[in-house]
Amino acid sequence: MASVTMRNIRKVYDNTVEVIKGVDLEVQDGEFMVFVGPSGCGKSTMMRMIAGLEDITDGELLIGDRVANDLPPVDRGVAMVFQSYALYPHMTVAENMGFGLKLAGSSKAEIAEIVGKAAEILHITNLLDRRPKALSGGQRQRVAIGRAIVRKPGVFLFDEPLSNLDANLRVQMRVELTKLHKELGSTMIYVTHDQTEAMTMGDRIAVFNRGIVEQVGPPMELYHNPVNTFVAEFLGSPKMNLLPIKWTRNGDEACIEVGGCTIPWNGNGHGPLGSVSDDLLLGVRPEHFDVFDSGDTNGSIAAKVEVAERLGDIVLLYLKVPGIEQTLAVKVPEEGHLWQRGATVTLRPRDKTAMLFTKAGPRVS
Amino acid sequence: MSTAVTHAPAGKPGKRSAPIKGRFTPWFFAAPGLLLLLVFLVLPFVLALVLSFTDQRLVTNEELGTDFVALRNYVRLFEDDSFWAALRNNFYFVAVVTPLQSALALVLALLVNQKLAGARIFRTIYFMPVATTMAVVAVIWSLLYAPDQGVINRFVGLITFGMVGPHDWLREPGLVMPAVMLLSIWQGVGFQMLVFLAGLQSIPLDLYEAAKLDGATVKQQFLYITLPMLKNTTIFVLITTTIYAFQLYTQAQIIASSGASAPIDSFRTMVMLMVHEGFRNGKIGYASGISVVFFVIVLAFSMLQRVLLKEERAVQ
Amino acid sequence: MTTTKSQPSQARRERFARLGQYALHTVLVIFFLFPLLFLFVSALKGDELQLLKDMGSLNAFVPYGDISLKNFSHVISGSNFKTAFFNSLLTVSLTVILGVLINSMLAYALARFKFKGRDFLLSVIVALIIIPFEAIAVPLLLLVNELPWVNGEIGWLDSYHVQIIPFIAHAFSIYLFYQFFIALPKDLEEAALMDGANRLRIYWSIVMPLSKPVIATVAVLQFLSRWGDLLWPVMAVRGDTFATLPLAMQSFFGQYPRHWGDVMAFAAMATLPTLMIFVIFQRWFVRSAVSSGIKG
Repeated sequence: MASVTMRNIRKVYDNTVEVIKGVDLEVQDGEFMVFVGPSGCGKSTMMRMIAGLEDITDGELLIGDRVANDLPPVDRGVAMVFQSYALYPHMTVAENMGFGLKLAGSSKAEIAEIVGKAAEILHITNLLDRRPKALSGGQRQRVAIGRAIVRKPGVFLFDEPLSNLDANLRVQMRVELTKLHKELGSTMIYVTHDQTEAMTMGDRIAVFNRGIVEQVGPPMELYHNPVNTFVAEFLGSPKMNLLPIKWTRNGDEACIEVGGCTIPWNGNGHGPLGSVSDDLLLGVRPEHFDVFDSGDTNGSIAAKVEVAERLGDIVLLYLKVPGIEQTLAVKVPEEGHLWQRGATVTLRPRDKTAMLFTKAGPRVS
Repeated sequence: MSTAVTHAPAGKPGKRSAPIKGRFTPWFFAAPGLLLLLVFLVLPFVLALVLSFTDQRLVTNEELGTDFVALRNYVRLFEDDSFWAALRNNFYFVAVVTPLQSALALVLALLVNQKLAGARIFRTIYFMPVATTMAVVAVIWSLLYAPDQGVINRFVGLITFGMVGPHDWLREPGLVMPAVMLLSIWQGVGFQMLVFLAGLQSIPLDLYEAAKLDGATVKQQFLYITLPMLKNTTIFVLITTTIYAFQLYTQAQIIASSGASAPIDSFRTMVMLMVHEGFRNGKIGYASGISVVFFVIVLAFSMLQRVLLKEERAVQ
Repeated sequence: MTTTKSQPSQARRERFARLGQYALHTVLVIFFLFPLLFLFVSALKGDELQLLKDMGSLNAFVPYGDISLKNFSHVISGSNFKTAFFNSLLTVSLTVILGVLINSMLAYALARFKFKGRDFLLSVIVALIIIPFEAIAVPLLLLVNELPWVNGEIGWLDSYHVQIIPFIAHAFSIYLFYQFFIALPKDLEEAALMDGANRLRIYWSIVMPLSKPVIATVAVLQFLSRWGDLLWPVMAVRGDTFATLPLAMQSFFGQYPRHWGDVMAFAAMATLPTLMIFVIFQRWFVRSAVSSGIKG
């Protein structure tokens, strides 16, 4: 096992393009860490630097307690599962899995034993003599993981391993990978752009954006306490509603003005103490609204129904608040209500759920 | 899993060299090939240029040495009737073979591309001469061209109802080039057929389907879709065939060495003359001059091809 | 449109067109096959007089009369065919094998390493494709005449290596390999790197096994051109000892009195390997033709 420590790591291509702008991160021994972010955010580059496939321009990388900056990939004790699986097409499954051991000079019997064990864990024993061409997508995925397991690495690296699978298989493999992590207890670093995978699989998530890490923490903490609008919007689906508001006071009570309605602040934490301010955003997740049929608009936000998407268990309402450009997404349980187009409803954020951000991004409440 | 615990002696923090690529490995891979290219391609090429301005001989004369003779080789070259004959033979060969062979190749490709039972077998048969060694081809045809009762003579007599009498194809100065042309086309056309075939098969089928919906006849489809889409392939085929044609040597050499052929200048090519001067007569300097002229011609056609194809790309 | 009316005539027209195509194919098949048929039939005719007499009729293409392998055994025992065949086989196969190795290594360096001067080298190699062998043959002759060999002797003429070493590196083959390599997915090689393979190992165990198509293409192109080459042997080889098939055939063909039956047997055996390779590797020939089209 091994921890992975990144100290102020930077990556510059051709002396001009800076793709990683100083990352400090510690992946603990045995932890399942997910690097998540939009494409081009640097998460894959960061992983490839840990793997040893990219040079590190600046900073220090420790695997275990060794500085690994200049170690060749094979000496880092890491194994990688590629997005394309990267199985050698001209070798059988067993040869694919045993290639690293063969290079390391293990005996045939040794290789056969280790490969056999890994195959058992992944239930691919019956495939060992096949070529990758003769495997399904899910089977290839398993072989790719098997090849990583065989090397008994301290750290597993997964580079978007599920993105080539169909939706069903993806859910299944998600569960299996989580199980595998429990079984092996190894450190795993997992790169994905899919927030669902990040939320469901990670012990902790590191959200990458434009070459820096915006926030690191357990999934639910990031979900409930994002440090800025980027993290807030990236996790959760549909994404968090961000409404321009005005922060005011009504006597002693802190209030927000949104779309012509003034509601008392009942959100998560304090607002900006004292002053009045009008370049703030109110962040409320779709499932954190109480929706009322109509009536009393006092202390709540009035809105009109634009579209109602019925998903069976829940209804996704898309609402229009007067004076606010963007559409509001709200999740309510399916209770047979009609939600006619154009009908007026009133909303109120549940207690301790709403957050305030500045328009520049950082959280204020 | 013990690797992570041990301390690596190597890891010096702050060192920023590439861990994966050792400094010398690209040269390890590249060096043998580069060395061979340098010695056996670049060097002789430079030598050809340099030597063409000297009186270098194959067997150097200790007393005389090698002298710089400026343009003397070229001046002599242009005064040499054999050189002009060779140049004329080459251009004659190119002027006939390139269009004929390319056109025949296109016809063959179109025929073979039809959905016809046995098309693959026909393709195989048309390509077989390409896989036949050129020297062998020349020998076969030498016998086919035999005077009097030879196969070709009989065939020519048959289709002209005896109006064209038997000829000694390889001995008559006016006939030896056409004879060489015919066997060259026979041998080489299969290759260009395959190039055209590849070009034909790269035309998207839905273009034809769209044209059919627009009411285009088969002939119109050929004129307005196939031909324009084959433009690049055609340029490529024409120019490479021209260049190959300039390299004409083996078949003419075999005929020349058969001992029963027309006067040498009636069919000697530039390459043959070059070998004759450089190797038989040992006049390396003079032969290098021929090489340079030869190369300039080939280069001109290569450049023409590049210009034509680049223009095409620019238009697109 | 009057499609209903035109349908029957349309079908008939198509049938006619097909018949016409078959007729055309028949003519073409005869044109392309008759010299080869003539070659093999004549080679089998043991009676020289009959062979010459048959030339004036269709009998030239009919194996009849004194049909035997007599001519072949004549050629094998009475000429230097065996030596020439061995020489061709040796020089061509060594050239092809070493060429595949060395050209692919150079191409791999260009395709997968970043190093100073790489782009320059690449453009030089592409430019070198234009130089035909014919343009350098004469100075090359002078050059190899002055080169020392491992045994200390000066001059490579009249040897095996003079027919092998100058032809190993081949700019167009390098270019074909380069084209193929840059299109290979990089992550296979990265996976091998993670598995602990060094560059040489990656080249040998991952890249080369995946490159069979381009290896076959390069090998076929080189085999054909080397097997048929007459120009270089004419200049660089003097006696029979190191003569390859085209050169040996040239001298056999020039001998008098000429025995056509034997000449044809010699020719048939000389081209048999290329025809056999063609039959076995037909689809690679197609590929060779297509990839030579990339050159433009």
